[in-house]
Amino acid sequence: MPEDKAHFKCLRCEAEFELPYTPGKLEERECPKCESNSVRRLKTPPTGQED
Amino acid sequence: MADVGRHPNIELLTLSEVKEVSGHVGNFRVKVKRHARYVDEKECTACGDCVEVCPQVGPDEFNFGLVHRHAIYQPFPQAIPAAFVLDMETCLGNNPRACGKCAEACEKHCINLDAVDSDVEFTVGTIVIATGMEPFDPLGMTEYGYGRMKNVITAMEFERLASSGGPTGGDIRRFSDGKTPKSIAFIQCVGSRCEGPGNSYCGNICCMNTIKDTLLLKDHWPEIDVTVYYIDLRAFGKGFEEMLKRSRQLGVRYIRGIPGEVEENEDQSLTLHVENTETGLVEQHQADMVVLATGVQPRAEAHDLNKLLSLQLHPEGFLLEAHPKLQPVDSPVRGIFYAGCAEGPKDIKETVTQASAAAGRAVRLMSQGEIAADPYTVEVNEDKCKACGLCLKVCPYGAFEWEKGAKAEPIEALCAGCGTCAAECRFEAITPHQFSDAQIVAQVEASLSQDPEQKAVVFACNWCSYAAADTAGVSRFQYPANQVLIRTMCSGRVDEKFILRAFELGAPIVLVSGCHFVDCHYIDANRQTVRRVEKLWDKLESWGIRPARLQLEWISSAQGQRFQKTMEELERLRREVTPREIAHTRRILKQKLHPPKPKKQARRKGVAAHA
Ligand SMILES: [Zn+2]
Repeated sequence: MPEDKAHFKCLRCEAEFELPYTPGKLEERECPKCESNSVRRLKTPPTGQED
Repeated sequence: MADVGRHPNIELLTLSEVKEVSGHVGNFRVKVKRHARYVDEKECTACGDCVEVCPQVGPDEFNFGLVHRHAIYQPFPQAIPAAFVLDMETCLGNNPRACGKCAEACEKHCINLDAVDSDVEFTVGTIVIATGMEPFDPLGMTEYGYGRMKNVITAMEFERLASSGGPTGGDIRRFSDGKTPKSIAFIQCVGSRCEGPGNSYCGNICCMNTIKDTLLLKDHWPEIDVTVYYIDLRAFGKGFEEMLKRSRQLGVRYIRGIPGEVEENEDQSLTLHVENTETGLVEQHQADMVVLATGVQPRAEAHDLNKLLSLQLHPEGFLLEAHPKLQPVDSPVRGIFYAGCAEGPKDIKETVTQASAAAGRAVRLMSQGEIAADPYTVEVNEDKCKACGLCLKVCPYGAFEWEKGAKAEPIEALCAGCGTCAAECRFEAITPHQFSDAQIVAQVEASLSQDPEQKAVVFACNWCSYAAADTAGVSRFQYPANQVLIRTMCSGRVDEKFILRAFELGAPIVLVSGCHFVDCHYIDANRQTVRRVEKLWDKLESWGIRPARLQLEWISSAQGQRFQKTMEELERLRREVTPREIAHTRRILKQKLHPPKPKKQARRKGVAAHA
């Protein structure tokens, strides 16, 4: 399965960041800023960061 | 080993491969493929007549390919059973038969070149996994020249050279010229504790193995100059520090620094470039032979085994135990135990200890004749079950009998009680005997019956996050007191409807918390939690409810401070939710969860018809 990066948003501190992402693979993710696990993948990348 | 071969209650299946395991504790059904040996192991006396006439040779695996063996061979002198085996890949072939000299030479007619693989199936009460490890292969670490330079060898190859049963009869000789080396350098941590090629963890056995080798060298060849290059020496445990001290006293040099490069000189001796961290200097040392103290790693088959038995792997690739402190030899599946390096790198003493413990655990279980199962199992309502099979798909233990088109039936002996199936069943056909929907919803309703806007609802799994709350309490970590803790056995039990019910009753914030991925007490049930929460975030957003009001945290039982911090953060998030937002959410959920019945429309139509 291809491992790529995706945009994520922390639902606790609202930080946005990139993390490795493999479609279909469930992983333990952590916000690099506040260490929360309430990390949600953004289906559309944030403005100005489109790839 | 000989005792195992002779024991009347032990059936030893060599050259065999486990293909399928089904069933549960007390009743595992195991299918095994027995590869053809081509030699009757009961009749063969290992006389060696067949070997003498065999024209084919291949690398001797037991001696790490340092020497060759014939196509028909005995793997090693103490092998059980003490019978020869024919390696058909090295042989000239039996179909069509190209040689057959071995069969002609065997006076007892033990060799059958037409033998074929066979399948056997049997039932066992318990299973002990002792599949071991494999040494790290340093070919990828080009800086040490292994594979290119004849006098760079691994610790396991050194072991074979030093063995009286090995290819040199116990003489330490250089591969380049067969001479006894005047100096030997050991490089520690090769393939261990590193980022690049190799493994991040400590190999556990390499330091003491090297110290043992230095003592052996100084005992037999005191004139050999021995140097050990290390990061730090891990000689913990009874008698180990003494061995290190003795090694130093016998003149072995210990240099704190790992060589960055090994170069081959013209005479095939070696130059080691090393930063000596004690002097701070980059030094060049000479050695006639270099031994790489390679680490250990999980066998490649561990991954297949893990799938075959519904077990879980540690991120390092070793099999994960049920509990690292309290159940170190138990797998997460009842009736399956671990012994040895399949579970993690360990030395002989630790392996024997664990193997004895595993045997004890297995015997204790079986000697009872029957087992007491936890009451945390489930029942399926046949009328509601739509035979979709989702329960079996999400169950970490495969604890359902189900075939396409048939209703699911729980296997109580296999069920561990995580409740994931009940949370996932779309038809509400599964009821756990404990922690039922009605019980949990009643807790949600009771806890939000007064001032719901002041509260945060926390679903906490029994083993980790609920225990973390205890740890926080025992440690006197202060946190806001307005959280309502609702315990479930696993976060996988937290049904979407519990969360939505909490929001519907006015909860500003809901937290789902459980074990970290590696700690999940139900193999990997908390992966279903993630999937469910992610889906619910999407659903809430599409309904106009802020997804951030549903939080997700992994908190282990030891993380009292993390629990405290999470509760403080929940309180901060709770304060951000306004009464207006709560009222809006309640309105939306009322519409979504309890839509008006279409009855009204029919009446209107009726009215229109009469008009
Ligand atoms: Zn964050």
